Amino acid sequence: MKLNLFSFLFTFTILSSHVLSISDLILTKVDRRIDLSTQIVRTTTTLKVENAGSDIVSEILLPFPENHAIHLAYLSATLNEGRGKAKPSSGAGLPYDEVVSPKDFPNSLKVYSVTLPKGLGKGDSLTLDVLAVFTHILQPFPEKITQADIQLLLFQETAHYLTPYPVKVQSLVVKLPDARIESYTKLEKTKLQGSELKYGPYENLPRFSYLPMVIHFENNQPFAVAKELVREIEISHWGNVQITEHYNLVHGGAQSKGEFSRLDYQARPYVRGASAFRRLVAKLPPRAHSVYYRDEIGNISTSNLWGDSKKTELEIEPRYPIFGGWKTAFTIGYGLPLQDFLFGIDGKRFLNISFGSPINELVIDTLIVKVVLPEGSKDISPSVPFPVKQSHETKFSHLDIAGRPVVVLEKNNAVPEHNEHFQVYYKFNRLSMLREPLMLIFGFFFLFVASIVYMHADLSISKTSASYLAKIQWEEVQATIRQVHTIISRCLTTHDKLEASLRDLSRTGDIQGCKATRKSVDSSLKELTKELKSPVAFLQSSPQAAQILPKVEEVIAKERDLQERLMAKHSTVVDCYEKKLGGREIENRVASHQQKITALRQEIDDLMDLIDEI
Amino acid sequence: MAPKAIASPIPDSLYPTLSVFTLAIGLILTASFFIYEATSSRKTRSLSQELATGAVASVFLGFGSLFLLLASGVYV
Repeated sequence: MKLNLFSFLFTFTILSSHVLSISDLILTKVDRRIDLSTQIVRTTTTLKVENAGSDIVSEILLPFPENHAIHLAYLSATLNEGRGKAKPSSGAGLPYDEVVSPKDFPNSLKVYSVTLPKGLGKGDSLTLDVLAVFTHILQPFPEKITQADIQLLLFQETAHYLTPYPVKVQSLVVKLPDARIESYTKLEKTKLQGSELKYGPYENLPRFSYLPMVIHFENNQPFAVAKELVREIEISHWGNVQITEHYNLVHGGAQSKGEFSRLDYQARPYVRGASAFRRLVAKLPPRAHSVYYRDEIGNISTSNLWGDSKKTELEIEPRYPIFGGWKTAFTIGYGLPLQDFLFGIDGKRFLNISFGSPINELVIDTLIVKVVLPEGSKDISPSVPFPVKQSHETKFSHLDIAGRPVVVLEKNNAVPEHNEHFQVYYKFNRLSMLREPLMLIFGFFFLFVASIVYMHADLSISKTSASYLAKIQWEEVQATIRQVHTIISRCLTTHDKLEASLRDLSRTGDIQGCKATRKSVDSSLKELTKELKSPVAFLQSSPQAAQILPKVEEVIAKERDLQERLMAKHSTVVDCYEKKLGGREIENRVASHQQKITALRQEIDDLMDLIDEI
Repeated sequence: MAPKAIASPIPDSLYPTLSVFTLAIGLILTASFFIYEATSSRKTRSLSQELATGAVASVFLGFGSLFLLLASGVYV
């Protein structure tokens, strides 16, 4: 019992101190700016905070009414250190967290707590810029319109800034599109200047002061909402980052009712179809190439692309104008150079690329970013500047065995503010790049091995049949004839060598060299004759070679004849040189030999060709 | 240490040229392989020569077809 009481007291002290610290802060000036010119509502709030109490305060609470909080897509708070508007914000956004609303807060509030980098001491002040982005918060009214109607929207807000701190001075500016304003709540100090609606300044307001106001206005901006966008980023270390984006688009404004007349639309598109959108512009990174825009049917030809060194702009037109509630699905794809997006640090590689869609002013209900890393990537860790749902997959693509690791990042309710760069770190061994070529090489090598095996394999069923044996024998005969052919060709080259030596002799008169050549030629010819013996014997014994044998024997005989003639010629010439006879004399002596040699050589060549054909 | 940009080992503008040359060499070697297969008989054929020609041809054909894939936009 005593313990209980103690803990109760303890809790009470904590709570009361917390509440105390809240009431110590004073907002000396609040400037709010609400931009309603597109479907995305951006609220920029500049808060001048002063600590009037004595305790150090390290966090500031930002409450949002629940009906707004469910549409909150993006929230960022930055310290504004520079005085005036010259330096709007400094550094990255401050960390914030959703907290349970304290007890003395009104119900149906969602409270975010911004943590200050250093505590705010007594009497200190700072300026905080808060950007809150809402989607699906503009209510179409009427909810259903015809083709000819304009789109009217309702926006509800509080004219007084909702805060747990007392406010000294505050003002609100609402920026509307340049179009008709149906109605707006007129409070004291309300002024309409062009397309800007001003409320305030209001002075000395208590905590949680709330003053509802409604604006009813025309807005024909494209209400492009992607129900689902799947962005697939595929890295290839061979020099490309391929991005494929699958859009599932819907017009999120007032629903279209009645019939659609293409004729009316074509004739006066800005009157009979004011609420529809016909084109979207995507800002792609510079040096994007191989851009395509297609859907399930095929290529959609209504697109334009132009680019410079800073960006590439793609203008796409859906197949039909999109009216309220109409849907379309398409795919955009493009390639980017690898060196712009992939970096290495400390032995790790990381991809640095923007998260959201490149299409301007697009609201994405479910954004799924898939980063497909090359096969063989390890230690994958994504780093995203805002909370996302993470999971892993495997994708099979060209030339994969184990599949590529895929990092899946899912984010609900994404707006262009989420187009920040995110990183995926991973480890990759350079040698793993050789996987794909090696796979191709082994594929081709397998083909070659298969053909070698086929040529070497003996596929006949009966090994004893006559035709099979005959075939084998015939092959052997063929091989032997080829052998004979080679040997005789070698003989002929040796003859050529001898002739060459004679030519040398006539040029230089080197008798000794000529004799040496003669000796070597003699021995090699002897060798060749010896080699010729066994194949000829085989051919003589083989019945299959009976037809070809005469030709072979003829060639051999002629070759021998030629050999003898050549030798005789050689001896004569060398003799003449030794006797120092004149050129004419030599010619006369060898003329008969020479004639025979030429004729024989011709005959042998013809026969050789004949044998070769077999 | 500042992050360093990582590029592909071979500039992608070279892929078409490389693929033409490596594929040409590969196809010539393939042709010589098959000519050898068709002209040599069972007795005179040498396995090592067949394997060597096949291996060199498949290296050229493998890299050639990889470069062809890359040049035609299929980044593997």
